[in-house]
Amino acid sequence: MTEPARVDISTDHGTQVVRISGEIDLSNAAQVRDAIGASLPDLPIVLLDLTGTEYLDSAGIAMLFRLAERLSYNRQELQLVVPPDAPIRAVIRLTKLDRVIAVKNRAS
Amino acid sequence: MSGLAGARGTWRIAVQRPRRDLVAYVGMLAVVGVVYYAGARIGLTLSLVERNVTPLWPPSGIAVAAFLLSGRRLWPAVAIAAFAVNLPITEGPLAAAATASGNTLAPLLAATLLLRVGFRRQLDRRRDALAMVFLGALVSMLVSATIGTGTLVVSNAISSDRLASAWSVWWTGDAMGVLAVAPFLLCLPLFRELPAWSASRWLEAGTVLVVAGAVATWTARSELPLLYLSLPVVAWAAWRLQLRGAAPASLVMCLITTRTAVNDDGAFAHHTLFEQMFTLQTYNACVALTCFLLAALVTERNQAAAALAAAAVELENRVERRSAELTVAKGRLVEEIKGRYDAQAQLSRSETNARQDHEIAETLQRSLLPDRIPQNPAVALAARYVPATANLEVGGDWYDVMQLDHGLIGLTIGDVAGHGLQAAATMGQLRMAVRAYAVQDPSPVSVMRGVHQLVSHLPMEEMVTLTYLVFDPATRTLRFTNAGHPPPLLFGGGRSKYLEDGVSPPLGVVDVAEFTEPSEEVWPGATLLLYTDGLVERRRESIQVGLDRLQREASEYEGADIDELCDHVLSSLIEGNHIADDIALVAMRPRSEADEALSLTLPAEPRMLGEVRRVVRRWLRQSGVAPDEENEILVACGEACANVVRHAYPTAAGDMVLEAHITDGLLDVTVRDHGTWRSPVERGGGWGLHLIEGLMDTVNVDRRPDGSTVRMRRQLWVRSRST
Repeated sequence: MTEPARVDISTDHGTQVVRISGEIDLSNAAQVRDAIGASLPDLPIVLLDLTGTEYLDSAGIAMLFRLAERLSYNRQELQLVVPPDAPIRAVIRLTKLDRVIAVKNRAS
Repeated sequence: MSGLAGARGTWRIAVQRPRRDLVAYVGMLAVVGVVYYAGARIGLTLSLVERNVTPLWPPSGIAVAAFLLSGRRLWPAVAIAAFAVNLPITEGPLAAAATASGNTLAPLLAATLLLRVGFRRQLDRRRDALAMVFLGALVSMLVSATIGTGTLVVSNAISSDRLASAWSVWWTGDAMGVLAVAPFLLCLPLFRELPAWSASRWLEAGTVLVVAGAVATWTARSELPLLYLSLPVVAWAAWRLQLRGAAPASLVMCLITTRTAVNDDGAFAHHTLFEQMFTLQTYNACVALTCFLLAALVTERNQAAAALAAAAVELENRVERRSAELTVAKGRLVEEIKGRYDAQAQLSRSETNARQDHEIAETLQRSLLPDRIPQNPAVALAARYVPATANLEVGGDWYDVMQLDHGLIGLTIGDVAGHGLQAAATMGQLRMAVRAYAVQDPSPVSVMRGVHQLVSHLPMEEMVTLTYLVFDPATRTLRFTNAGHPPPLLFGGGRSKYLEDGVSPPLGVVDVAEFTEPSEEVWPGATLLLYTDGLVERRRESIQVGLDRLQREASEYEGADIDELCDHVLSSLIEGNHIADDIALVAMRPRSEADEALSLTLPAEPRMLGEVRRVVRRWLRQSGVAPDEENEILVACGEACANVVRHAYPTAAGDMVLEAHITDGLLDVTVRDHGTWRSPVERGGGWGLHLIEGLMDTVNVDRRPDGSTVRMRRQLWVRSRST
């Protein structure tokens, strides 16, 4: 059973900060997306902090792509925070997600 | 007292007898006297010897008949009449009195003898006919003949050498008088007593009399010996009319024939006196005997026939009554059969209802039990539920195995006291409650506290025993608590123990309860066995005996496959085919993956993906794979399984199989399914394989109509401790 991913949403200096902890896979990617998109204020930058994300599979990657695309319609920018030593770093790299979405090492 | 009363009654009747009776008595005396005298005068016209010896002496028959009909008290009439008759024809009054006394005594004796032998004056029995012949005529008339002839000799009316012939004539004459006349007189009252004749009967009777007279006259006067031609006529009369026809006919014949003999006519001419007497008396005797013997026989036969007819009628009536009764009885029987049939139908209906209730309860119970226990890669699990055979009701035993967060496995087994739908329903509620509390917080104390609160708020009477355990495969630790349930058994590797700690009273018994949760490490190779009391309890046996037996039998099969173990435990602890109480059984045996190849078979469902990662992660760690590599391998395995989940079984459910082993540092993972892949149209579908290829050294995808296999290999950086 997949551990339920936890989604915390906050605002920090004009930036929408969404912290996702736990594991994201096929079973809960849609729920995570809905949780993130449920009440996004109209701020220019949405920062997705994946520091606490322990697992991310291709369903999660696809979800991130779609989220970025949807935000871009709204002239909002999606940024990711993924530490260099994070377990999901390999997936980000292999899917070349970092070429579409800005990936930061840490939330500044 | 009754004798005295009877005596007084007799006395009273005697003194109060009305004068009218006396008049009637005197009248009867007169009638009898006159008739006797008249008969005597007729008799005297028939005398063969002198004037006082006749071959047919009607007065003796008249006297006998009078005594039989009206009683011996009429003797004075006979005595006086006889004296009157004899006086002119004997030598003086003394001789007449002597003869008269003989004439009186003989009929008295006859009547006395006949009454003594139960004579019926109806002459309707053979014995009455015989009694009349022998007692009434032949024996009794010895008296009158002896006295009469004796008087003749004494008075010198005849010489003594003629005594014998005179005596015999006298005797036969008196006897014939009785035989010829008495039946005739006795038959007269019968015309009043018996059913009256019809006109044709009267006509026939008249005809008989005329024919009898004609035949007697003719035969007697004929010179030819045709006397006995009379007999058929008498037989006819007796046959057709019995005594009432035969007695008059025989009297007529006797009188005519005797008359003829006295006149020395016809058949009696030219014969000596003795020959005449012999012929006449024989004839008279034959006619008289034929008359009332035959009449008696026919009457007897008629009575028998009538009795038979009456019996037949009675029988017929009885048959009719019985038939009617039988018809009624048959009606009742039909009603009863119908009633029984209805009752039977009613019974079958209630049986059907009971069976349906039972089936509903059993179906309900089975539906309330887990349809299948979760497959967990960390543990081997097996469960059994055996319903009682004796009890038609369904019991409240239940078990459950839950996959909880953080890889924990929750196990519960319980028993709701009671049977039937109510117990099954309570069981269902409790099972769900345990599940809900365990998901919230898997701690045994927390779960038990929750269930206890629930039970104390539920409107149920039943007592509930319950054991709840939570197993952490990562630490191989059991935590448990037990509310009055038989203790779980932990055994294997030559050791075994019942987990007897953490016991609290059954739920629903006390309002406030304290629960504890001891823990127990499950040693490698150990198996946990949960059960309900039906497994270890036997009648007339301590439960300790059952517990010992379970420990022994389970330990004997500790090395067996877990399903075989369950089957063995059931078969060795159940007595014969009789299962007195429901039995639930759950066995759990932690796998020791580290030293083995990993093999997982799980339903191809999204929710299982995390489970796959958890098992593979633990296996990789136990195999000494570095954490960096671990994540990448997990992603590869996860992607392969996610592809199966998404694409292999578009329409139906199916399994995914993951097998992994490490040989000389080379990790070899195979993910298989048995479904038909659809093309990965969704975005992201292609990412999975891309990731696998990026994370593993080599990837082979083999897609066939009956399933697909993805084989991935990767050379591990750090050599595994396994071979």
